[in-house]
Amino acid sequence: MSGRVLAALAGQPNSGKSTIFNMLTGARQFVANYPGVTVEKKVGYFSQDAAKVELVDLPGTYSLTSYSMEERVARDFILDDNPSVVLNVVDASNLRRNLYLTMQLMEMDIPLVVDLNMIDVARKKGYEIDDAALSKLLGVSVVVTDGKRGKGREELRELLARSSDEPGRASPFHLDYGPLEPAIGRLQRRLSLDESLKDRCPRRWLAIKLLEGDENALALAKNHASHWGELADNLERERQEYERQFTLPPAQHIAFKRHEVSDNIARQVLRVKHPGMRSVTDRVDAVLCNRFAGPIIMCAVFYSLFELAVNQGGRLAAMVTPYLGQAQAFLENLLPAPGYMHEPMITSLSSWFMTSVSALLVYIPQFFILFALVAILEDVGYMPRMAFMLDRIFKRFGLHGNSTLPLILGGIYVGGCAVPGVMACRAVPDERARLATILTVPLMNCLAKTAFYIMLVGAFFPDHQAGAMFFISTITLIMALPIARVLTMTVLKGRETAPFIMEMPTYHLPTVRIVLTRAFERIWIYIKKVLTIVAAVAVVIWALLQFPGVSDTQKADFEQRGAAAFTKFEKAIAGMPLGKAINNEGDLMALFAFREDYRAEKAAASGNRQASKGVDAKFEATNPVFFDAVKHRHSKAYKAFDRLRKARAHIWRERQQARINSSLLGRAGKFLEPVSKYAGFDWRVNVAMLSSFAARESATATFKALYGIGNDGRYVGAAMRNSAGGIPITPLNATALMLFMALFPPCLATIIMVRVATRRTMWMLFGFAYPSVLGIAVAIMVYSGGGALGLSGWQAMWVYYGLALLFAIFMGALPVQKPTQRTKPTLTKGAYIQ
Amino acid sequence: MKKAAIFLGMAMLVLGLAAGAMAHSPICTCYDNGDGTISCEGGFSDGSSAAGVNMYVKQGDKTLLKGAMNADSEFTFKKPQGEYKVTFDAGEGHQVVINGKDIVE
Repeated sequence: MSGRVLAALAGQPNSGKSTIFNMLTGARQFVANYPGVTVEKKVGYFSQDAAKVELVDLPGTYSLTSYSMEERVARDFILDDNPSVVLNVVDASNLRRNLYLTMQLMEMDIPLVVDLNMIDVARKKGYEIDDAALSKLLGVSVVVTDGKRGKGREELRELLARSSDEPGRASPFHLDYGPLEPAIGRLQRRLSLDESLKDRCPRRWLAIKLLEGDENALALAKNHASHWGELADNLERERQEYERQFTLPPAQHIAFKRHEVSDNIARQVLRVKHPGMRSVTDRVDAVLCNRFAGPIIMCAVFYSLFELAVNQGGRLAAMVTPYLGQAQAFLENLLPAPGYMHEPMITSLSSWFMTSVSALLVYIPQFFILFALVAILEDVGYMPRMAFMLDRIFKRFGLHGNSTLPLILGGIYVGGCAVPGVMACRAVPDERARLATILTVPLMNCLAKTAFYIMLVGAFFPDHQAGAMFFISTITLIMALPIARVLTMTVLKGRETAPFIMEMPTYHLPTVRIVLTRAFERIWIYIKKVLTIVAAVAVVIWALLQFPGVSDTQKADFEQRGAAAFTKFEKAIAGMPLGKAINNEGDLMALFAFREDYRAEKAAASGNRQASKGVDAKFEATNPVFFDAVKHRHSKAYKAFDRLRKARAHIWRERQQARINSSLLGRAGKFLEPVSKYAGFDWRVNVAMLSSFAARESATATFKALYGIGNDGRYVGAAMRNSAGGIPITPLNATALMLFMALFPPCLATIIMVRVATRRTMWMLFGFAYPSVLGIAVAIMVYSGGGALGLSGWQAMWVYYGLALLFAIFMGALPVQKPTQRTKPTLTKGAYIQ
Repeated sequence: MKKAAIFLGMAMLVLGLAAGAMAHSPICTCYDNGDGTISCEGGFSDGSSAAGVNMYVKQGDKTLLKGAMNADSEFTFKKPQGEYKVTFDAGEGHQVVINGKDIVE
């Protein structure tokens, strides 16, 4: 027992494969992608006796045709990577259907171990399975496990570790295809003559696959056969001859035979103790999938998810924030400190990077709750039922029943958050619908957008506040659904779709261990991804905002204003104790640092009179002169320092704005003006929009100034815009801006999540570009079109609403495309299809 | 189809009620300056500035004062007599309410 073992884990969905994977490998797991596809490859390691086992978790598949990407990935791994053993996880409570995959694995001539899992569920159903008989029939080792409770772990680990000693022993089991056998035999002989095909894959397997008309097998033969033309003729003749003789295509005969044999085996080893008893699952389904109670219960489930993950999670996030802030402050302390006017580049880049990371890490409490709740729903078996009930509406728009949760979290009405929304898209099983969901979740109304709408509605539609809020809250979904449909018909065309095969697994109680393992595992993956992807994206955005920087004259101007403020401060404190304490920039920065520490400790002691007084006493003892300048509002020292502090903050803000305006991003804003002016946006609005995306820092304040909204929330006139002779601000302008904002991606974090979820930078860029272009087009339509028709902002809203609604109905009424057809899969009982 | 439509309608209703969601939590801390004034500093959990956010000082149902965070994300007001509450209002349902009793020197 020594050396390395490469083992693969295969099984049908819901067979408890992930549970077995976690049970065997524990925490030593890594996630990567299979080359060239978006299918996750999970690898885990464990050591048993002297052997080190590398266990690869293949995607869960019902079959091994080349019908879906998952099936091809699983099959190619077995063929190309030559694992020394394949562990086939079988759901003991669904033995017959699960054996269908086992039949196909055995055909691949690989050493196989069958894991009869979920034995607890089977026993509850009253099933008794003779595992010894099963082992004898199949000619492979059979291990009985209860993955949830960790039963059978040692036995499995030993068996896998031992497989390195007995390499290449496949089962002698031979599925008899009856009347097709002569054809298989002839083809097999023909294949064995071909030198270049000989060692690529098992000959009998290839012969069967070729008769099935499997696309990938045909491609394999075509690429490697020395006389493909001759082989193809042979094959075609055999297939036609069989079909003529038995009036059945070989592919169907093969599938029937596999079912027949699976059924036979299951019959021989399975004994049902109480036949005819109505299962718990059926009774629960009678309530949960009831015509009337079903939707109500589903609403309640969605509501609880939303409330717990977004609301309560948000509260938890607020509690975590100060600690993240402290950690960041601690790390920033290690960097060169910013001077009075000068900020070292390394400090600015590092703190930008840390801010970006912590903006995403702050979601961890929410994600943890979300992942745990989703794991519970998955574990219980409710998720597929939910999707099943909603799929009929969503499929009309190219989405999937499972798209509901992401859209709700993103803010289907108002006040969601796109980041957990995009993250939740992993539950959408069909690649095309998953991408369509990922790309439309950012169009929902997240909190940041909601706050922005409230500001504009309050200022420009004071008489129609409720109506305008209703407009913007519902228009997003009305736009998102047809957009999803258009995306699936254009850029996502040709992406793989799976037919809606949804297995309704038996209900079982969730186990704490599994729920927590799954939640922690997903959080850990999230953290790793955030750190790597943020590093790249944050640096790029920082550079876009930073370079080429302000001109030398402007720079000198800011320097001079800073120096003037400092001189004024020095004059004011001359002769005072503070004046003696501050002789240079270093002393001044010490005072700034003193104030910051003081504020931080005061905030921590907030609400507790005793502790708060204690903080005062401590700081007063440390430096009474500084304390006077940061505490006593009426002291001369305080006033002088306050003026300096505010003047400095003001200059820094202005300099930051000037830097953004002259940066690459700022130039982009100016470059876009010739187009955006038709939407009512001048270059400053463009810049504010672009930089609000990159750094939401004071976005509301910037827009308030740009749109002439006073502190009481009312429109006070275009104070800032008049001076530039810009575009007049009207409610029509505000309608265009709101619609643009509704389509524009909410923040950098969302876009990074798109990259995380799709694993492709291309989708991240597309996820930013298409809503921006669409947003500007819609804004132009509303502003220029509405203006030409003489509509007010309020009227334009409803004209647009009507048009969008008509478009949505039109797109929903288009015929739904059939899923991509390859070899037609045979459906199994117990799986529902739509 | 009909069932799903009914469901969607209901979901909208329920979620409308749940509009009080927050993902980037608002943060607001107030201090008693000890000279008859109160200062509040605000921000958001993702580091965004709170400049321009509306602030209210209320006594019971009566609004004593209405204003907004300045460019430095600060808001200072005269301490009212008796009990009062400070509201940091970052939008419908997304507010931080601080009880005057908890604002200490």
